[in-house]
Amino acid sequence: MSDTERIHILPVLPLKNSVLFPHLLMPLAVGRPASVAAVEAALATEGKEIVIVAQREAATEMPGLEDLYRVGTRAVIKKMARPDESRLELIVLGVERVVLLKAEQTEPYMQVRVRDWPLPDERSTEVEALHRAVVDLAGRALSLAQPQAPAELSQFLVSTEDPLRLVYLMAGMLSLELGKEQSLLEAQTRSEALRLMHAYLAHEVQVLELRSKIASETQSEMSKQQREYVLRQQMRAIQQELGEKDPQQAEIELLRERLAKLELPEEVRKEAERELGRLERLPPGAPDHQVIRTYLDYVVELPWNRHTQDNLDIARARQILDEDHYDLKDVKERILEHLGVLKLNPGAKAPILCFFGPPGVGKTSLGQSIARALGRKFERMSLGGLHDEAELRGHRRTYIGAMPGRIMQAIRRAGSANPLLMLDEVDKLGRDFRGDPAAALLEILDPEQNKTFRDNYLDLPFDLSKVFFITTANALDTVPAPLLDRMEMLRLAGYSEEEKIEIARRYLIPRQLQQAGLAADECVFTDEALVEIISHYTREAGLRQLERGIGRVARKVALRHAEGDPTAVTVRAADLVELLGPPIPAPEELRKELPPGVATGLAWTETGGEVLYVEATLLPGGKDLTITGHIGEVMQESAKAARSYIWANAARLGIDPAPFKDSGLHVHVPAGAIPKDGPSAGVTMATALASLYMQAPPRSDTAMTGEVTLTGLVLPIGGVKEKVLAARRAGLKRIVLPRANQKDLRDLPEKVRAETEFVFADRIEDVLAAVIPGLEARLSRAA
Amino acid sequence: MRDKPKQLPVILFAGSQAGTATCWQPAVDIYRSRSGWLLKFDLAGVRVEDVEVLVEGCHVTVRGVRRDWVLEEGYWHYAMEIAYNRFERTVQLPCEVPHPHTQLEYRHGILIVRLDTEEGSR
Repeated sequence: MSDTERIHILPVLPLKNSVLFPHLLMPLAVGRPASVAAVEAALATEGKEIVIVAQREAATEMPGLEDLYRVGTRAVIKKMARPDESRLELIVLGVERVVLLKAEQTEPYMQVRVRDWPLPDERSTEVEALHRAVVDLAGRALSLAQPQAPAELSQFLVSTEDPLRLVYLMAGMLSLELGKEQSLLEAQTRSEALRLMHAYLAHEVQVLELRSKIASETQSEMSKQQREYVLRQQMRAIQQELGEKDPQQAEIELLRERLAKLELPEEVRKEAERELGRLERLPPGAPDHQVIRTYLDYVVELPWNRHTQDNLDIARARQILDEDHYDLKDVKERILEHLGVLKLNPGAKAPILCFFGPPGVGKTSLGQSIARALGRKFERMSLGGLHDEAELRGHRRTYIGAMPGRIMQAIRRAGSANPLLMLDEVDKLGRDFRGDPAAALLEILDPEQNKTFRDNYLDLPFDLSKVFFITTANALDTVPAPLLDRMEMLRLAGYSEEEKIEIARRYLIPRQLQQAGLAADECVFTDEALVEIISHYTREAGLRQLERGIGRVARKVALRHAEGDPTAVTVRAADLVELLGPPIPAPEELRKELPPGVATGLAWTETGGEVLYVEATLLPGGKDLTITGHIGEVMQESAKAARSYIWANAARLGIDPAPFKDSGLHVHVPAGAIPKDGPSAGVTMATALASLYMQAPPRSDTAMTGEVTLTGLVLPIGGVKEKVLAARRAGLKRIVLPRANQKDLRDLPEKVRAETEFVFADRIEDVLAAVIPGLEARLSRAA
Repeated sequence: MRDKPKQLPVILFAGSQAGTATCWQPAVDIYRSRSGWLLKFDLAGVRVEDVEVLVEGCHVTVRGVRRDWVLEEGYWHYAMEIAYNRFERTVQLPCEVPHPHTQLEYRHGILIVRLDTEEGSR
């Protein structure tokens, strides 16, 4: 090529931010008046050629030659259009790079003298190596940037034989900064251009690799959930297509419906709806899903505002109570009182009662009967052995397998907010490091606090104040005082022989006969037979042994019937040995006559009353007082007080003081294996000692009870009814009681009161006078 | 690669494998005859003296320049779609033409290139 061919005078189109490379097409928008003029001038030539150069600064609006790079590209305008009057759109094709030599004209557009500056052809191993490296990198960059790029594109890259053209192509595809593009264009040799491109590509590949790594990491996290989500959506769509409801949605709908129908306190409704909202948003696989569902089920099922109508017909209630239970006047009266109150004041708080007494006296069944009389739902739970506070109050929902407490479970079972809730065995509550259930009961049983009882699981206030609580206990000494204080105590002391016969006739015999499959007339008990069972086959305050005895007889009769002997049986006292075996030997039988130094006492136990004997004997040569028979401290002290009193008043009682000095004393209380304690055996001890020192046998038909002081006063004791009934069971019909206990006789059945002789004592002398025959004479003699 | 906010250089794909991309390429029709080939190049507005035809074995190259000679004083471009300046097109025929007899004809803006074997022309 000659020099003249390589020199051109052409209009200049300055570019902002971009470089046009030879061999490449570029769309351009031209708006600056000088540029429009330059393009128009170029179009007015036969060749449509123009020089395209990048500006050094994009901000320069009217660039002069010095504002442009020295190297640009000679290009042919391929297409031109005017979307509007002031703007041109061009497609230009880069032909050759040129060096700008000199500005020939600057107005109205710049025209410059340029010289073609093609890169010299260069075939060296270095160029070859660089070329291959760039192709390799370009392929990687391409696959990273657009994995789904058409195969032709990478094919095209590989097939481009001219390394320079490849460099320009890649420069067009990469988005390089202006400076880098310009230095590519200005490269002195092919190897320089290739080296530059290699560096740019390497950087690009690094960036792309990092980007795809980040993308793939987030994607793998997403894709599992995404997959599940998509599958679920599809399942839902299929179900809809089949006309089935999405089971989860259906469930939520059902819950929502039920919730809407319920009459709930505002706080409860809010909470339930909040949880329902959470449930809806959770996928069914989420661990919380089941927890919330169970919770909502519970909330929906609880009888928040569901109350049963109380039966306020007092006559009918009285009839029901009388039907179910014999006697128990106090308790029935208390229930009827409450009914009366409810009639006048429907908002009255339910009472909290505590039935206490020996086993088998009907505490639990009385509760059932009360529920029946009031027309309330009945639920009972046993607190025996309960040692975890959470059992009553529930576990917080954060724990796995959390459940509401027993109280709320009972309320749910009852299905009404005012059931009769029986808490059995309140005296047998345990207590350990997990907390004290009795303390939880304090809240539950306090009418002031239980209006807003919060179960840990539900975490919602529930009004327990309408619940009729009845607790039962055998003994009260293990019940914490604050708990006792909250309850109204009602004693069920046990039954006398006559009452037992009556109860057996009315309830036990019909029930046992029915269980044995016998008709009422197939097995008839005579009164004597019942008395025999009660007095010689059972020793109890309650009725369980009696019922078992009747049951055994009934089964024996049933067996005979089954073996083909259909004759009706009348059970007489004499038949019992055959039916029930030999009677239980009673300790009293052995003590028909008492020797000096033995006295009959009465004791109170959890299972009712007991007859208790105190034996005393002199120990010749001994000195001390020995007390045996598994005796507690209080009882030992009362023995010492009794001895001291006798010794101190020996002269007045006509006792020879010589044995005091010469002999020791041994007091024993059988049965030796049973623990005993309490002060109420004081008078018995004193009587035994007096009888011993006087060598005068006491009356064997008289039992006594009472605490004795050092000055000889007789103080009142508890459990009179049990003790009297125990004496009666032992066949003792004369009883010495402290005067102060006279009032307790009201509790006794009419018949017992009439048939027993009571002696009331103010001082120990009164007791001794009543028990030791001939004492009067002695006293007067001594006086 | 990345979206570039500025103008993007575009690669010219179609038919760019042969020849360089620094010029435009005329469209071509290729006919087969018993004796050889007939190629029709769309070269409207090209002066015959500006066209050069090269036959090398089975390659036929047509190159030249289309000048915008219809330029009149007082007119300026409102739009331009016709490609000007240098053009080059190389056509590769499937088989070599032995002893070609080349005949050129330029009619109505179409350049017709006939390639016949000696026997075919006989």
